[in-house]
Amino acid sequence: MLRSFSRTEAWLLLLAAVVGFGVLPALNTFVSPDSFFHVSTFSLSIWGKYLCYAVLALGVNLLWGYTGLLSLGQCLFFSLGGYCLGMYLMLMIGNLGQYKADIPDFMVFLEFPKRFPETGGLPPHWIPFRNFWFAAAAVIWVPALVALSFGYLAFRSRIKGVYFSILSQALTYAASLMFFRNDFTFGGNNGLTDFKFILGYDLNSPSTKRALFICAVALLLGVYMFCRWLTSTKFGLIQRAIRDSENRVLFSGYATAQFKLFVFVLAAVICALGGALFVPLVGIINPSEMAPDKSLEAVVWCAVGGRGALVGPVLGAIGVNSLKSYATHAFAEQWPYILGALFVFVTLFMPKGIVGLPEQWRTFRRGKKTKPEDAPTSTPSTAAKPAAE
Amino acid sequence: MIRLPAPLLVWLLMFLALAGKLHAQQAEGGRAVLVKALLSEDQDEQIQLIQQLVRLRDPLVERGLAAWRQSEVFLLERDGGRVPVVLDVQLDADGKARAIQLLNGEFLKDGSGAELRFAAAELTGAENTSKLRRAIKATMDLYALSDPNEKIRRDAAIKLGQEQNPDYLTVFADRLKEEVSLEVKDALTEAIALTRAADADPTVRIPAIQQLGEMRSINGVGYLQELEAKAKAEPSKYGAETLNAAHTAVVQIQSYQAWGNLLGTAFRGLSLAAVLLVAALGLAITFGLMGVINMAHGEIMMVGAYTAYVVQNVFKSWFGGSGGGFDLYFLFALAVSFVVAGGVGLALERGVIRFLYKRPLESLLATWGVSLLLQQLFRHIFGAANVQVTSPGWLSGSFVFNDVLFAYNRVFVIAFACFIVVATWLLLTRTSLGLQVRAVMQNRAMASCVGVRTDRINMFTFAFGSGLAGMAGACLSQIGNVGPSLGQNYIVDCFMIVVLGGVGSLFGTVFASLGVGITDQILQPWLGAVLGKITVLAAVILFLQWRPAGIFPTRGRSLEG
Amino acid sequence: MTPEFILMLEGVNKTFDGFKAINDLNLYLDKGELRVVIGPNGAGKSTMLDIITGRTRPDTGKVEFGKDTDLTRLNEYQINRLGIGRKFQTPSVYTDHTVFENIWLSLEGSRGLWQALVSRLTTSQRDRIHEVLQTVGLAARADVKAGSLSHGQKQWLEIGMLLAQNPKVLLVDEPAAGMTDEETAKTGELLIGLAGKHTIVVIEHDMVFVRQIARKVTVLHQGHVLCEGTVDQVQNDERVIEVYLGRKKKEKPGPTPALAAH
Repeated sequence: MLRSFSRTEAWLLLLAAVVGFGVLPALNTFVSPDSFFHVSTFSLSIWGKYLCYAVLALGVNLLWGYTGLLSLGQCLFFSLGGYCLGMYLMLMIGNLGQYKADIPDFMVFLEFPKRFPETGGLPPHWIPFRNFWFAAAAVIWVPALVALSFGYLAFRSRIKGVYFSILSQALTYAASLMFFRNDFTFGGNNGLTDFKFILGYDLNSPSTKRALFICAVALLLGVYMFCRWLTSTKFGLIQRAIRDSENRVLFSGYATAQFKLFVFVLAAVICALGGALFVPLVGIINPSEMAPDKSLEAVVWCAVGGRGALVGPVLGAIGVNSLKSYATHAFAEQWPYILGALFVFVTLFMPKGIVGLPEQWRTFRRGKKTKPEDAPTSTPSTAAKPAAE
Repeated sequence: MIRLPAPLLVWLLMFLALAGKLHAQQAEGGRAVLVKALLSEDQDEQIQLIQQLVRLRDPLVERGLAAWRQSEVFLLERDGGRVPVVLDVQLDADGKARAIQLLNGEFLKDGSGAELRFAAAELTGAENTSKLRRAIKATMDLYALSDPNEKIRRDAAIKLGQEQNPDYLTVFADRLKEEVSLEVKDALTEAIALTRAADADPTVRIPAIQQLGEMRSINGVGYLQELEAKAKAEPSKYGAETLNAAHTAVVQIQSYQAWGNLLGTAFRGLSLAAVLLVAALGLAITFGLMGVINMAHGEIMMVGAYTAYVVQNVFKSWFGGSGGGFDLYFLFALAVSFVVAGGVGLALERGVIRFLYKRPLESLLATWGVSLLLQQLFRHIFGAANVQVTSPGWLSGSFVFNDVLFAYNRVFVIAFACFIVVATWLLLTRTSLGLQVRAVMQNRAMASCVGVRTDRINMFTFAFGSGLAGMAGACLSQIGNVGPSLGQNYIVDCFMIVVLGGVGSLFGTVFASLGVGITDQILQPWLGAVLGKITVLAAVILFLQWRPAGIFPTRGRSLEG
Repeated sequence: MTPEFILMLEGVNKTFDGFKAINDLNLYLDKGELRVVIGPNGAGKSTMLDIITGRTRPDTGKVEFGKDTDLTRLNEYQINRLGIGRKFQTPSVYTDHTVFENIWLSLEGSRGLWQALVSRLTTSQRDRIHEVLQTVGLAARADVKAGSLSHGQKQWLEIGMLLAQNPKVLLVDEPAAGMTDEETAKTGELLIGLAGKHTIVVIEHDMVFVRQIARKVTVLHQGHVLCEGTVDQVQNDERVIEVYLGRKKKEKPGPTPALAAH
């Protein structure tokens, strides 16, 4: 597995691990709050959030950058992961909520005890989520199941390209409408929030926040290394071959639908893991997280950072979100302009994102001497061939 | 209510002629009776007199009755007797008004002929008990039966029929003789039947019940169901015949209602289909024919809707907020929004999309960026709240057919959808421009080889598709809210429609809109709006399993690589 | 029919939107044969390949491989796994992969998902890849990205990818398109060398090339076999001349632009 990494990459990973596991938590714990070098617990949480988004971006990239499947529904899986863990966190509040009831506040508010009298108001499918490990397993299998069913239908009928994008968008749109409904038993509009404990630890204490941040670093590094390994196997070659010429792969005897389905489910699980960690870090999950435009935003992170390279989406997710945090404070009104312009600019002028800039610069420097050839798929085959005599 | 100007005019003339003749006789009598009632000390007599007034209608009497009910009739002591008056609406500088005598409608004068003035606060009103007030109310309700406004007459007949008061029967019968409007006649007949259906005498009751059934009386079904239940509970009191008649009538009415519901669902489905079609047609051109994923399509519709808003404001400033001149604004708005949205589309094509024809997924991203920009721009200019677009007179209101409400704006959208589909189809298939468009869309390289200026055709086609989207927006401004997020509400649906119909097929889009619109409206009563919508989305995804290329797949050889 | 045929199409029909692309088509291939299929544009040549390879399902008719394998029931990758390889008209290679990797992905062997995750390249596989690259003359460019090859080289690479699959039947759609005369001649030699070991169907327009390689030629017209025979027989057949030229006899059926054909 280690052979998959180049030397530089290995060093960078090590550096990231040292900073993420050691330096930042240490600066938070041991340096006095007055010091310039102190990292507040709040910023650790914010950075943890960015790292979760970076995991989401890696999931998008695995599909889009490496397999050519632009899914506009990845935030659905992110949110599903979040909801699964959120349900556990919700039940851990116990009777410390506003209503001092044994069931989560929104269930009291929505009169669930009348709907589910035999369980005291708790919908039956919530009950197993009292167990952390059940919830943790659900973070994986629920999104995987959704991805499997949707992917099976989509790939079986050979829906690809933009049609796949549109259908995946419709899927997440439908799901968000569903979750917005109060009687869907997931808190409707407000979603799940006001968490108190995770595994018995106080969610608001700095040490828990620190631990969560370290988990986020570990998750991101783990997912990154997994993606690196995956893309360096023969599977990775086939993945990219499907992206570039699916017909050739199909006519070479590979069941492309199975490969795509596998990647789709895998990406869903990756996104869900990011979402599951996102929820305790941010403290809320609601249906607006799965609205279609959130997924599009995740696609922008990839595009900005550079898809088709693993580090691109990570850079993009962290970069765009830092910019967003800054911009929404400094000039909230203008943020949509910036985001919109970023979209247009990146697609028009930086097709390979930040990661592709050096190469773009080199091509530009080389000038018009050697014009880079576009994919010659549309070259009329007989144009080069004079009429045979 | 169907407005039939010519018959209405004839009817009005007849009414006026008749009324003029009757007026003189009635007026005298009515006023005298009113005065007598006011001066009477016996409440029973008073009530009886008020009931008499039903047949002696006169504006002054009506005014007097209304005032009496509000304690605004004053009994002034004059020459040893009491004179009932109401006060004029016009007040002088001291807050006093002239007194109008109810007996003859003249102002009350003192001996020297000078008009007397009073302040309402100084006087005490004629006594009115709750019984009296009820009697006055009933009389005034019955007056509504002879109101010049057809709709008021009809509503009054329905309302009074529901009261099932046998005292009204003669009034209904009298009105029925004079009534000219068929609808009001029906309402009166229904009121009579409904009142009789409550009669204690089975020989009166049963024919009335049967009549209600024959009339498919939706207003009567509530009572009939109640009656059926009561007759079942107490067969001895009502008898089997009543039960049978009530049952038959209820079944008759309910099956009619079911039919009406079907018609209503069909109309609502058709109108939703038309909305979707109008919204998706532009996309069928830009996405279906050109293959451009324009996520800003919804925002171009929004541009059209705001254009309609601006045109409306301009016309308002020229002609005021209503009337013939103002009513024309919408036609202009349609044309202007086509041009404006087409212009925006043109700019979008030149500025962004033309660089991305070979990269459809990326055109999706770039145009989404554009949609964010446009939304924010309009939020800046017009504010985040929805703006008010007033429908022109000829688009507001509705007519009723078979007890189903047909709103004019919905009917218009259906007609408009038909119009632009046919127009687009003609443009694409019957003009040389359309030929070139189709050529470019099928095989860009080949079209270019035979001398079609593909660049221009792309520009034109995209602008045309955007223009259609703009008109769609203007159209939607008549039936929904106009706000910065207008486009977002339609974009997912639009794409689904085009994909479902089969990309590149105009008729596919038409059929897909119809399918989605009608399915949605059929599901809605059972599942509610949101679940219905989700079910439709799921159905579309499943449908594509069966026909991955949509209803009408386009089998272009050039599409396969 | 008799079981010596490795591939057999019998009474095949296919209609697209009312256009009869294939009309009662019969084609029988002997094992090890090299068959050239010619025909004007829209004759149904590519559609025929689509039907054999499972991309298009025929409306009616039999398509059988070997003794009794019904190809109409199988999909593309299953048919490929039986040993039917196809080269597309426009070269279709993985542009972002190296030449070596292109061949690797096509190499005979497991096509499973799990295998793809865990398998490593063995020495014998490596040797086989180099052998194929030698055969198609791309050994020197093994580590170059396929996207940077010339058009002719891409054609060869695709033929190499087919060879790596070691198929029983090779379906080759216009292999000489976009090649220089020299390259065309080399391609011809390559195909002749492969015949015997493999059964080969070549679709071609270039009559010089056809002359070079063909033993038996099938002429398709309007989705139907017009005639079959040697090059000379075919070229002197009145019906063929009429179809191609619509008039008098000439030395050869002229080339028809294949721009829109697939």
